[in-house]
Amino acid sequence: MIAPSRLNPGTPRMSAFRTGGLALAVALALIATFVRDAAAETLVSEPCPPMVAKARETLPPGTALTCRVHRAPNRTIGNQTIAGTIDILVADAVFPDGRRATLDLVPPPPADRPVPVDLSPTEKVLTTPGSIRSMEYEHGDLTGSSGTGMAIVFWGFALITVVGALFVVTRRNLIAAVMGMVGSFLGIAAIYMMLYARFLAVVQLLVYAGAIMVLFVFVVMILNRPEDEPVAPSGRAGQALGGLAILYLVVRLILMLVHVEPPNPQTAMAAPQGVPVCTAWKDNSCAKTERLDWGSVGAVGTDLFNAGLFPFEAISILLLVAVVGAIAIARPLGPEDERARQRMEGGVA
Amino acid sequence: MNDIVWNIGYGHFLVLAAVVFLIGVGGVLARRNALIILMAVELMLNAANVTLLAFSRMWGDLSAHTFALIVIAVAAAEVAVGLAIVVAVFRGRKNVEVDRLTTLRH
Repeated sequence: MIAPSRLNPGTPRMSAFRTGGLALAVALALIATFVRDAAAETLVSEPCPPMVAKARETLPPGTALTCRVHRAPNRTIGNQTIAGTIDILVADAVFPDGRRATLDLVPPPPADRPVPVDLSPTEKVLTTPGSIRSMEYEHGDLTGSSGTGMAIVFWGFALITVVGALFVVTRRNLIAAVMGMVGSFLGIAAIYMMLYARFLAVVQLLVYAGAIMVLFVFVVMILNRPEDEPVAPSGRAGQALGGLAILYLVVRLILMLVHVEPPNPQTAMAAPQGVPVCTAWKDNSCAKTERLDWGSVGAVGTDLFNAGLFPFEAISILLLVAVVGAIAIARPLGPEDERARQRMEGGVA
Repeated sequence: MNDIVWNIGYGHFLVLAAVVFLIGVGGVLARRNALIILMAVELMLNAANVTLLAFSRMWGDLSAHTFALIVIAVAAAEVAVGLAIVVAVFRGRKNVEVDRLTTLRH
């Protein structure tokens, strides 16, 4: 007996896989709705409140300050409403000598909790509104990822990535889809580079745009079949639902992009700090440390062979198992396998 | 609006990753060819990696690089096994449409 699926792949019975996926898409859309509220709490740039004068006293004259704040919402305790106040106060400082730092300042106390009076000198500094709690200098030995040139590069590679990804899911021709995938991976490698993940950018090029692409091309050549309709025509209602869910997610993403807080061009994407790495050991303790560039082979390797040593070894076993498994699955069928297959085909499917 | 275009921040990288991930989800849901579905899964894994690295840079924590490297290795293993399965299925049935692979259901 021939299963109905052989003759008509579009029967409703066949779409359980797709129905599950659509349920997932709807769930994702619902999650995105709730996530938006969590993402709305960002620091907002605004003129520095007067209490920042306290911080200015301790900074060299001529320092430029830009403030970012987060405001607590109004609260109701019993029948009393307490007005919201600033609860996070951050200032980006540019010193006269060109160095930059991010200052964490003490926010003003909430209306219902005034500053206590009996305090030690240290506690006083930590609770006086506007005084500096901590200061973090930006590291200046690499170029930061902000500015017009960086924006042009980002949008260019983002375009390549997205267009390549669209190629993968829309092309009928499998080779065109693979080439779109390679373009997308090249774009992602450039994006890695912009995130200062240099080692991983090179790995991305070697593994994805090199090895995996060749693997896909070989399989496409082996199959060598003209492809039929790119999108399955079955389950119109389900597809409409899934399409709507995806459309909704895309619209939400665009809205999020519009609401993305414009980063402070001076400090937001400043260069990452170098990573301190021990280069010489003596009596089980570090005798000499060096700063390695962020994302370089040395820095990633140091982390990989210390904290990530077990996963690294586990990966080697995983790759061995995958290679053996791939050969076992794809090897030509022997005579006894052939008989078993014929028995199965004749009896069941 | 000008700020969003000319000032690139972490949000831009995260939104780009989300867009690529969504395209991958769309591919897995809408396409029937097993090869295209594998490629769409690869896109989703890459989008997850971009998110990892963006947050790594944001928090100044290098261990996400190790994690992303392991994700790449797992993705490579997955592609090797997945393509072997595709070849084996094609040898037996002369097509790789996921809608027609229903033998296990009977």
